[in-house]
Amino acid sequence: MPTYPCTIRVGTSGYSYAEWLDAGFYPPDTKPGEMLRQYTRQFSVTELNYTWYQMPRAPAIERMRQQVPPDFQFAAKLTRYLTHEIDADQWRTHAAQYRDGIAPLIQSGQLAAVLVQFPPSFQRTPKNRHYLAALLDELRGLRAAVEFRHASWATERVYVELERRQTALVSVDAPGLKELFPQLSIVTSPDLFYIRFHGRNARGWRSGDMQKQFNYDYTEAELHEWTDAKLERMAGQARNGLLFFNNHVRAQAPKKALAMMRLLAEQGLMR
Amino acid sequence: MTRSIIHLNVADFAVAVERIVDRRLQNRPMIVAPLGSARAVVYDMSEEAYQCGIRKHMPLRMARRLCPDASVLHPHPDRYERAMRALLKQALPYSPLVEAGDGDGHLFVDTTGTGRLFGPPVDIAWRLHRQVKTDLGLDPIWSVAPNKLLAKAATRLVKPVGEYVVGAGEEAVFLAPLPIRLVPGLERDDLDRLKAFNFTRVSQVMALSLEHLQVPFGNRARFLYEAVRGIDSSPVLPAGRPGPAVISDHDFDDDTNEPAALESALYGMAEHAGRRLRRQRRAARRISVALDYSDGIRSIRQAAATPATAHDLTLFKAARQALNLARARRLRIRHMRLTCDRLVFPPAQMALFPEDRQNREKQDRMGDAIDRVRSRFGKDMIHVGRTLAA
Repeated sequence: MPTYPCTIRVGTSGYSYAEWLDAGFYPPDTKPGEMLRQYTRQFSVTELNYTWYQMPRAPAIERMRQQVPPDFQFAAKLTRYLTHEIDADQWRTHAAQYRDGIAPLIQSGQLAAVLVQFPPSFQRTPKNRHYLAALLDELRGLRAAVEFRHASWATERVYVELERRQTALVSVDAPGLKELFPQLSIVTSPDLFYIRFHGRNARGWRSGDMQKQFNYDYTEAELHEWTDAKLERMAGQARNGLLFFNNHVRAQAPKKALAMMRLLAEQGLMR
Repeated sequence: MTRSIIHLNVADFAVAVERIVDRRLQNRPMIVAPLGSARAVVYDMSEEAYQCGIRKHMPLRMARRLCPDASVLHPHPDRYERAMRALLKQALPYSPLVEAGDGDGHLFVDTTGTGRLFGPPVDIAWRLHRQVKTDLGLDPIWSVAPNKLLAKAATRLVKPVGEYVVGAGEEAVFLAPLPIRLVPGLERDDLDRLKAFNFTRVSQVMALSLEHLQVPFGNRARFLYEAVRGIDSSPVLPAGRPGPAVISDHDFDDDTNEPAALESALYGMAEHAGRRLRRQRRAARRISVALDYSDGIRSIRQAAATPATAHDLTLFKAARQALNLARARRLRIRHMRLTCDRLVFPPAQMALFPEDRQNREKQDRMGDAIDRVRSRFGKDMIHVGRTLAA
């Protein structure tokens, strides 16, 4: 069995969902404040999505960090003020605030990546291209991974530029809708590849309702699409790999993340 | 079960609403205060005016001196009430438990247990905020917390803009470093007393035991002890459907503080309320009187009616009691509101003593006779002498 120099970690997008209690992922009566500790028993990484809603604050991040083992990692979603609700005059201040907020993770070496997820409305226009370039300059040193939600960014020039900047392009497993960024497995950074499994619920995706959008249960065959060919190649091109399941409805995400970990272990891609 | 309460707080609500009506008022100092009154005080002000040192209830004259550039607008409570209703309407699809403030831009939404339907509370809060911004043009501060007290403290903390999420279990850590005045529910007296002890931070009060607090605060100690620890089990009341109430308003042609004129108007209102209560076959257990002084300050007091009543005279007696409590200033009064609520079906139990019973029956018969005359010949056909006095 071949061994790979790549360290792959699998987790879920967020861990604090009340419905995961009902679904049995967390033991009954687990309090919200205890969910992260429970989560770390099964996973070695999580994607923080609350940092998108609320500007992270160092004391809160530090308290959260103290709940996890030292080798546990966090991928932090970039604040919405830099991706969805950009204020032309204020964004650099917001970037500085964000960097300050996640500082405890940087200092402890537990920041796996910063997820820069743009909305579908963020299309490839000259203005947005310039903004993205300036933003990535501002985020230098934070191991950014960029996720596009619009197909206009799926061009060679974008990949080449991300490669030049050694910034990861997020691969998405999502419904095959025409306007959406396509499912690709291009590795643009020798340091990191980053995959997000959103589920393939095409009807739910357009509903504007998160509970429908991310309601999807991957089949074993669909997970094999990644493990059989793509992941092996990707693992050969980067030192680290992050896989996150975002199909959180009814705790499908942690179930499939665990299934994915099993498949990767069988292939020797994960210890 | 851990609760999730969302709090929306539109900072400087009156100003925010006026700015929607007139876009030219954006980004400039603005004061909302009654015009045409020599002793008017500030009802609300914009952030720019606040930065100049203007505060609520400050005399308008002083406010004008502090910020001569500020535009002064007369308050429009009807507009604020409409805006509140619109705000409430935005939140109702997310929970049956939505509690709205009294025309002040505050809204609590209890999203406990709605996760499977609508997703995580923080996402609901963000969506709600986005909707309110798009549909109403308001930009509320929002917070998510395990109870109302923490949710309100959180929006106070980030005022005038922003958001704050207080996680379950973080109550004490969140509150400890805050100035004590940010803890909701503390009254001026509490703050003055704490200041006398040189306590300005929550952490200082947190260090005191209940017994310590009881020495200077007596009955208030329990509340203080729990408030600084972020303990609050008060429910989010299902608003939008406020408890049924009968409300009667009176605007004085000329502002007055003549007791006879006030009581005469009050009797008329009690009659009006009584008629409506009787028509609904209900009786009120609480009578409150709200007075709007000519400087814009409102004073509200209430009295209990035991047993519940729908009789004009008994209603009036309770209302007069509330009026006397509410009239604590020598200023003239512009507007008066009588609210009869905590409605119940009229008590069936008869009075114990024959004399009381006879009196009540007599009043009943008189009330019935007046109602009959009025329903047949019009409401102005018969008057009680008291209403003609002024």
